[in-house]
Amino acid sequence: MASPGRVKLLLVDDDQDNLLALEAVLEPLHQELMLAQSGADALRLCLDHKFAVILLDVRMPDMDGFETAELIRSRKQSRHTPILFLTAYRSDEQLFRGYDLGAVDFLFKPIVPEVLQSKVSVFVELSRNEQLLQRQAEDLTRAEQRFRAVLEAAPDAMVITNREGVIELANSSTDALFGYSRENLIGRNIRLLIPDWEPLPTANPSARTGEMRLVGVRGDGSSFPARITRSPFQASGSWLVTTAIRDATDQVQAEARIHRINAELERRVAERTAALSYSNDALRQFAWAASHDLQEPIRTVLSYSQWLAAAGPETPGESRERMLHIIQDHAGRLYQLLGALRQYVQVSESGAAESAKANWTPVDCNAVLRQVTANLQGLIEETGSKVEWDELPAVQGLEVLFVQLFQNLIANGIKYHSSAPPVIRVHAEMSDGNWIFSVEDNGVGIDPKYFDYIFGVFRRLNRAGGTGMGLAICRAVVERMSGRIWLHSSACGKGSIFRFSVPARPQ
Amino acid sequence: MVRIFLAEDNAADVWLIEEALRRKSIRFEIDNYTTAAEAIEAVTRCGLENAPVPDLILLDYNLPSGHGADILAAAAQNPYVARVPKAIVTSFLQPGETNHVIELGAACVITKPAGLEEFMREVGGRIEALLRGAVCGGSEAERPEGSEQGRKRL
Repeated sequence: MASPGRVKLLLVDDDQDNLLALEAVLEPLHQELMLAQSGADALRLCLDHKFAVILLDVRMPDMDGFETAELIRSRKQSRHTPILFLTAYRSDEQLFRGYDLGAVDFLFKPIVPEVLQSKVSVFVELSRNEQLLQRQAEDLTRAEQRFRAVLEAAPDAMVITNREGVIELANSSTDALFGYSRENLIGRNIRLLIPDWEPLPTANPSARTGEMRLVGVRGDGSSFPARITRSPFQASGSWLVTTAIRDATDQVQAEARIHRINAELERRVAERTAALSYSNDALRQFAWAASHDLQEPIRTVLSYSQWLAAAGPETPGESRERMLHIIQDHAGRLYQLLGALRQYVQVSESGAAESAKANWTPVDCNAVLRQVTANLQGLIEETGSKVEWDELPAVQGLEVLFVQLFQNLIANGIKYHSSAPPVIRVHAEMSDGNWIFSVEDNGVGIDPKYFDYIFGVFRRLNRAGGTGMGLAICRAVVERMSGRIWLHSSACGKGSIFRFSVPARPQ
Repeated sequence: MVRIFLAEDNAADVWLIEEALRRKSIRFEIDNYTTAAEAIEAVTRCGLENAPVPDLILLDYNLPSGHGADILAAAAQNPYVARVPKAIVTSFLQPGETNHVIELGAACVITKPAGLEEFMREVGGRIEALLRGAVCGGSEAERPEGSEQGRKRL
């Protein structure tokens, strides 16, 4: 509350003694007393001061009290200053004129001090209240200005509504965001802007909801994602709501982008992890199989060379020869296994595959088959085999790999022949953007239960010679060219058909 | 005379096993199968149509066309060989495979050592123990290398 500052009182009388007497009477009120001995003096003082009340003697020379009052009233800043006339005459005419001129009261001489004090006190109090009111009004105006400045400066659209959503106030950001002019929004429902805006609940209106994601609708009918916060408040007993609205388009897009990037990252990590774990697992299996199959010949060589060294004269020469033969045989086998292993590693090494793709060229498979039959000349003649092929396509890849692939498949077909002379047929057909090659033989055939088994490393179906690596190498070759390899029983029930696919146009 | 069912594709190992048996003065007859498919067929037939039931079944683990475990699985289907002691004889097993073959009915896993004397001692000793009816399974599952018990029984 404002401090009860002293107010000013103006005492006007042409008689110095009267003035002193008035001063003495009013002193106990502890207000600021100003004295004037003429109407002119009084007017001058009224220019510079605002008085709580003016005590004006009616009868004065030059300018009497009424004339003075008229002039005081005619000035804007003193128009409402209360005037108490002091007079010795009770005349109705005077009273009427005085009231006409805005007098609030008359005091009749001789002045009774208590009456004067009491009347003036009323005006002092009145003036104080007026000052207080004015200060409060100023405070209010300032607060209102501050509030509007904040509202206008806010980057968000701010809309103040009643609890049902009827708009009472909106800031300039609202115009900008929704494309309405503010005047057109006042009195309309905020659901025009935010269709899903809900009225304050009657049960617990002050409950603040967290940030909401709702759709905003602009004046032109277009919509946008909006972030909305509501702050209910109570004013003069009724509930109002400030709704702050922010265009979240950028945020939503950024979030979507982050989400996409995250998903892509997760996908890549998962893919890479799967690839790594697959290759880890394959590598582990490979390492076990390799160490197992390589250990066997070494162990045999070691045991038999010790046995041979320890053989005394009682050991027949025949046995010694057999031991030596076993040693040589297993040493040779170790050498053969290591060769196959090297081939397999070269073919399946994934790092090499990536760099080698750049070196891929069109490979004419007819030329590959000519090369392979030349390489297998001895075996083919020895077994009386026939190797036939239709016109074959050219495919992207490395020629050396195709030679390896066809040579392994054809040699298998010849080696595992039945009683009939081996006939190997190769042909290719297009299917879904892949070339499907078939290598068909009329050999002993393979039990379907081994169709997967035989493509593993060191997998053999019998003890005849092989390293168990041939088909593992074939699979590695095909997989390196982004294809796959599988096996069918021949239609006539005799022999096998190996098929493999390679993309006609590698990515 | 003991009859031994032996699935082993390495003829050199067959000869070493025979030598180990000789050094233990065990008189034996060996039926040798060189692929898993042959051994599975044979073990399925044991006891049927006058096919003899062996006194001991020894199985290499890595064989052409399959594994020793496949043969154990087939043997488990044939009641005539239910009481016949069975052992895997191999260079080594991968972790987890030992438990697997024990579950499939192997009494133990015999590791083929490198070196002639070691082979004779380990393989001969273990076979002898198995033929005496000693159960050398037990803690084998926890000890894949597991040659300690066999040596102690010597």
